[in-house]
Amino acid sequence: KMAADSGWAAVCEKFRTARTLSAVESRKDPETEPYRSKYSARALLQEVKQLLSAAEEGGEARLLAVRRAVLEYELGVNHTDTEELSAGEEHLQRCTQLLEPHRLSPDCVSLYIQAQNNLGILWSERDEIKTAQTYLESAEALYNQYMKEDGNPPLDPSEHFMAEEEKLTDQERSKRFEKAYTHTLYYLAQVYQHLEMIEKAAQYCHTTLKRQLEYCGYYPVEWALNAATLSQYYLSKQCFMESRHCLAAASVIFSQAGQVPSAEDNETEQDQQDLRQRKAEIARCWIKYCLNLLQSARKLLEDNIGELDPDRQSELKVQRKKEEDEKEKGRKKAVLFGTSDVCDSVLAMEEKVSSVYPLDFQEAREIFLVGQNYVQEAKEFFQVDGYVTDHIEIVQDHSALFKVLAFFEEDYERRCKMHKRRIDMLEPIYADLNPQYYLLISRQLQFELANTYYEMMDLKVAIGNRLEEQDSHTIKKINSLAQLAIKYYELFLDSLRNPDKVFPEHLEEDVLRPAMVAKFHIARLYGKLITSDSKKQLENMQTSLEYYTFLVDYCEKYPDAVRAIETELELSKEMVGLLPTRMERLRAKLCPFI
Amino acid sequence: SADGDAIKVCVRVRPPQEGPVPPEGEQGLCLAVLSATSIRLHSKPEPKIFTFDYVANMETTQESVFSSVAKTIVESCMNGYNGTIFAYGQTGSGKTFTMMGPSESDNFTHSLRGVIPRSFEYLFFLIEREKEKAGSGKSFLCKCSFIEIYNEQIFDLLDSASAGLFLREHIKKGVFVDGAVEQVLSSAAEAYQVLTTGWRNRRVASTSMNRESSRSHAVFTITVESLEKTNEVVNIRSSLLNLVDLAGSERQKDTHAEGLRLKEAGNINRSLSCLGQVITALVDVGNGKQRHICYRDSKLTFLLRDSLGGNAKTCIIANVHPGARCFGETLSTLNFAQRAKLIKNKAVVNEDTQGNVS
Repeated sequence: KMAADSGWAAVCEKFRTARTLSAVESRKDPETEPYRSKYSARALLQEVKQLLSAAEEGGEARLLAVRRAVLEYELGVNHTDTEELSAGEEHLQRCTQLLEPHRLSPDCVSLYIQAQNNLGILWSERDEIKTAQTYLESAEALYNQYMKEDGNPPLDPSEHFMAEEEKLTDQERSKRFEKAYTHTLYYLAQVYQHLEMIEKAAQYCHTTLKRQLEYCGYYPVEWALNAATLSQYYLSKQCFMESRHCLAAASVIFSQAGQVPSAEDNETEQDQQDLRQRKAEIARCWIKYCLNLLQSARKLLEDNIGELDPDRQSELKVQRKKEEDEKEKGRKKAVLFGTSDVCDSVLAMEEKVSSVYPLDFQEAREIFLVGQNYVQEAKEFFQVDGYVTDHIEIVQDHSALFKVLAFFEEDYERRCKMHKRRIDMLEPIYADLNPQYYLLISRQLQFELANTYYEMMDLKVAIGNRLEEQDSHTIKKINSLAQLAIKYYELFLDSLRNPDKVFPEHLEEDVLRPAMVAKFHIARLYGKLITSDSKKQLENMQTSLEYYTFLVDYCEKYPDAVRAIETELELSKEMVGLLPTRMERLRAKLCPFI
Repeated sequence: SADGDAIKVCVRVRPPQEGPVPPEGEQGLCLAVLSATSIRLHSKPEPKIFTFDYVANMETTQESVFSSVAKTIVESCMNGYNGTIFAYGQTGSGKTFTMMGPSESDNFTHSLRGVIPRSFEYLFFLIEREKEKAGSGKSFLCKCSFIEIYNEQIFDLLDSASAGLFLREHIKKGVFVDGAVEQVLSSAAEAYQVLTTGWRNRRVASTSMNRESSRSHAVFTITVESLEKTNEVVNIRSSLLNLVDLAGSERQKDTHAEGLRLKEAGNINRSLSCLGQVITALVDVGNGKQRHICYRDSKLTFLLRDSLGGNAKTCIIANVHPGARCFGETLSTLNFAQRAKLIKNKAVVNEDTQGNVS
């Protein structure tokens, strides 16, 4: 008996060494021999396996089977880790076969789930996601069944090679078991993503995040970033309450990251830099939140010419009153992050910005201001020097915030000033940008600047129309805004030309609509230019006609294009019909004697 | 310019190990080259046919790979476009042979030298010709840098003492590696000298499966700047030529090139570090709504952002091993190459005019 005991101790020792080699030592392996420790661990496991078969006679069959299953599991993982999939699969299959009869008992359930997890990974490496899915879903089902029928903290696989006095506490057992199951959910999230079951994948990501928080298995910064990214998924689904919850949790958990002293005290400049970048990234997610909320509200409120519809506005206000009573109910349905402390901070964070559609200027302004604050925060890190693309994207968001706020503004003069703010932030950046490296952004800026000038011109025209008589100042202003809009549309169109400066015969899908809109707007702008010189006016009409004609001719040649610009095409056709007659009349007025 | 826009994709089949060429089928080859543009893979149950811009079979010479694939990229680089040549494929599929040539110490003069030395020769040949044509009115400046991306960290292969470097952007100059050594080049031989020195600093690893596998991406960049004076106007043109040797494709579990593999959680005590990538993928398929994705592209795609769907001319040489045992990797390489064909590339000549006309 003594000899057997010391023999067992040696076996346990070997097993433990193998695990340490595999999990700890292997991380320090030189780059030239990345699997050195894994190979040593494998040799040790083989030895243990042989020792075990030698002891087979007289031992208890079930106990032996479980121990052998542990070894098969370890060998299976080892082989998969070292890119030997087929061998890995054989070991893992043997493990599950050995455990099959006992899989619901507390000493086997955790191992069985982990074996299934690893079979899932293995099959995914072979691009057989469906097979992976069956293993992982059965692991999920087993966890649920075990929790329902038993629920006691089960043995951790490593305990099968431990002396009685070393065995884990129930708390530790539970922690490890829950972690293995979290991994199942995490793998399932990936499986569903690969199978394009997006909603399900998002739900599993959400649950994984929630469990990480509950079982303290997370790095704050990483967790916060994941939650912030998930908020962007909810944005695309217009679920603003969920989106805000994710963002608030991200901000709260991120702020904890700064408080925890890092493992090595000598935190480098780089780590600080990274932390600042992450903070700015979360700020950018908040910007998008504010922007989307405002833009969605605008969509609800606008009439068919894009102005605020007062009937719709009062209708929605009544509707909201009704919903406010049911708000609490909705809140209870959402998956909430964290327990008491964290949850309180998250809820406090949420208080700072609404998650319901703003319905008037005052409400819109509050959301705008929150967004603008995050713009400042994000720009602190993403400065133009070093982060050109990110910086410009943030400025574009800022411009978009002003644009949507202007929708809620009733006073045209003030609305015009908001657009001027957009010009002031976009124009200098555009002027500096090298289109050789930033062609796409450069085009976006050209187009946005053109559109902004266009909008300002429209506002000036509307203001002018209210006056008894348009003064020369207003006329000058309208003409200059129109010229600037034309300038930027032309710059955009020029960017589509090939190296020999020829405009493409056929427009690629991604630029088709903007190019057509640019042509159409230029045509309209020439129509709006105000001049007392009839000859000049005739010229403008001629140019306008040419641009309208371009649209009509292009769509005749490429009927596929019609779908992208139906309204514009219709109006263009009308103008192509009308303009020549008008020009004829003007000509007749110019030279009445011919 | 129908063929000038899209990314050019070429597939090259290496010969199997020395000895007689084995027959197609179970134990032998998993593919057959059907024509100069198509390849048949013996997948089950149906064989699959792939079409590319160019398919080089086992007999294709280094010279003809260069002239059918890389030559036009070097030429457009002279005309002010940015150009990129990628080599892609699993370890042992012949990437290094295609790009560098046989592994003898100095293969700059070797008859089997690869795409990179030939690109150098051709580039400097074109520069000399331009100079002769234009006389004293035109001058050139060539500089190069050589960096390695390993584990999402950037190292300077021309300065082995340097620590990790960072990617930054400049509003005029685009993306650059901050602090990377730039060496001035005056000849093709000099360029090759710099390249081989840096090449020796690369990280490689051996496993029982692969004798030697490069675990890093290497990017060799030549900046060609030309300065032309006509009357009082100074025309400066600058363009980049990127020569990229990707890590063995079997190692690229962290890029978009991967198949459907699941990301492992790894050690039970660590966090699920790739959850972010899953969520990112979910956000990616959003429906055109405004959103921000926290995780930036990989370092490699960020560095080569212009080359992929931006403002440059690009070609990808996908290398495959024809052996039946390589079927899986070959299939995934061919799939990758086919996807790459869908990437659109728009090229625009850049000339910024300095000096005053009046």
